[in-house]
Parts: sequence; C-alpha cells; structure tokens
Amino acid sequence: MTANSLQQAKLLPGDLAIWFFIFMELLVFAIAFIAYAVVRVQNLELFNHYQMTLNREIGAANTLILITSSYFVIRAINAIKTDDVKQSVFYLYAAFGGGAAFLCLKSMEYYDKFSHGIGLDSNTFYMFYLSLTMFHFLHVILGMVILLAVAIKAQRGAYSANNHIGMETAASYWHMVDLVWIILFPLVYIIR
Amino acid sequence: MLLTLFSYTVGKLGLSGELAVFLLLLVSLIKGIFIIRDFMGLRGVSLIWRILMYGWLWTVISVIAITYSISL
Repeated sequence: MTANSLQQAKLLPGDLAIWFFIFMELLVFAIAFIAYAVVRVQNLELFNHYQMTLNREIGAANTLILITSSYFVIRAINAIKTDDVKQSVFYLYAAFGGGAAFLCLKSMEYYDKFSHGIGLDSNTFYMFYLSLTMFHFLHVILGMVILLAVAIKAQRGAYSANNHIGMETAASYWHMVDLVWIILFPLVYIIR
Repeated sequence: MLLTLFSYTVGKLGLSGELAVFLLLLVSLIKGIFIIRDFMGLRGVSLIWRILMYGWLWTVISVIAITYSISL
C-alpha cells in the first residue's frame, strides 16, 4: 500500500450533526429555488415586471455584508487555532455585527414593501420573494444567536487551539446562510 | 466581492437574455464553490460530503439554468 492510499480524508469542520442539519436546510432551500424557477416559467411577464421593483442596491449590499461576515468567522477560527482568544472573540462579534447589518437592511426593504401594501397575497412573485427572503431571514437570526452564544463562550475561555469544535460548528452554519444567499440574490433580484 | 459587483451591474443595467443568465449563474456557481471549498473548509474532506455539497450546488444551478432557457 502506498502512503497516499493510507491517507485519511480531513474531518468535517465542527460537529457532524450540524452537517446533517445543514444539508437538510440546503435541500429545503433547493426545493424552494427550483419551485421559484419553475413557477416563473409559467408567469414570465409577472415575474419580470415585479422583479424590477426590488431594491438591488440593498440586495447587493447584503451580499457583500454576508460574504464579509463569513470572512470574519474564518478569521475567528484562524485566531483560535493559535490560541488568540481576544482576536477570535473580536471577529465573532464582528461577524455578528454583519448579521445585524444584514437584518437592518432587509427590514428596511420589507418596510418599504409592506408600507406600499405589498404582502404574501399580492401576487405570485411577491409571495415567492417574501417567502424565500423571510425564510432566509429566520436562518440569519438563528445564525446570529449561535454566533453570539459562541462569542460569549469564547470570551469565558471555553475554546482553545486544541478545543474549538463548537466554534467550527457555528461557523459551518453561518457559511451555509451565506451560501444560500449567494443563490437567492441573483435568482430573485437579478436574473431575468 | 468583484463577482457580486458584476451581478449587481448586470441587474442595474437590466440585462437579460441567454448570455446574461449564463454569466450570472456562472458567477453564482463560482462563488458557491469558493464558499463550500474555502469558507466551509470542505477541501480534502471525505468524498461523500464533497459530492453532497457540490452536487447540491450544481443541481440547483443546472435546474435554474434549464428553466430559464425554456423561458427565453
């Protein structure tokens, strides 16, 4: 046997259970994205028309915010791997702040829509837009709760270079939230 | 970041058609690969998980591409 054939695959970052959860969530979003794309074919003019009412500036800004926030989480993980707890905590809170910024901008977007009387029952496009983005919104909230819990634990010295599975678990979930938005933003806001 | 700005620019200009759809989905695919491989840290993990995650990405992008090409 060669050394290569004996080489073990790298372990998944974080707890294995979160990866089953992540994949389940991704399956649900996949069904929703595909449903959007299929229904759009049957309502082309409606979707193309109302897509132009969406705020692409906020959508793009939120994409940049989530990518940056994910990057901060990576910096937090890299810091704890060198036992730099202070820096790790800083970047976890920075990532949390990114999530908060995302929610603020998204709320502004919703306020604009709701104040114009737009809701889930307005038309098929808005039903999909609101359902998809609100479902993602809830995942961002959950991700932020997880990040906050991990940041507080890190501050209390719960993690180290030899023990940071909890932090990697939180990071994996947060990256999933980012991954979903990477598809959602162009699909709902841009592609026509 | 640049890929996101590209997507935004396409949207802002209101570009549509086969090429725009193809480029936007390609951008999403590339960004997704970066997130799965580098952010999520799946580079070098067991094959089954890489198949599941990349398979998810490719499947979603492909189905979206097919439905959009039907509508063009």
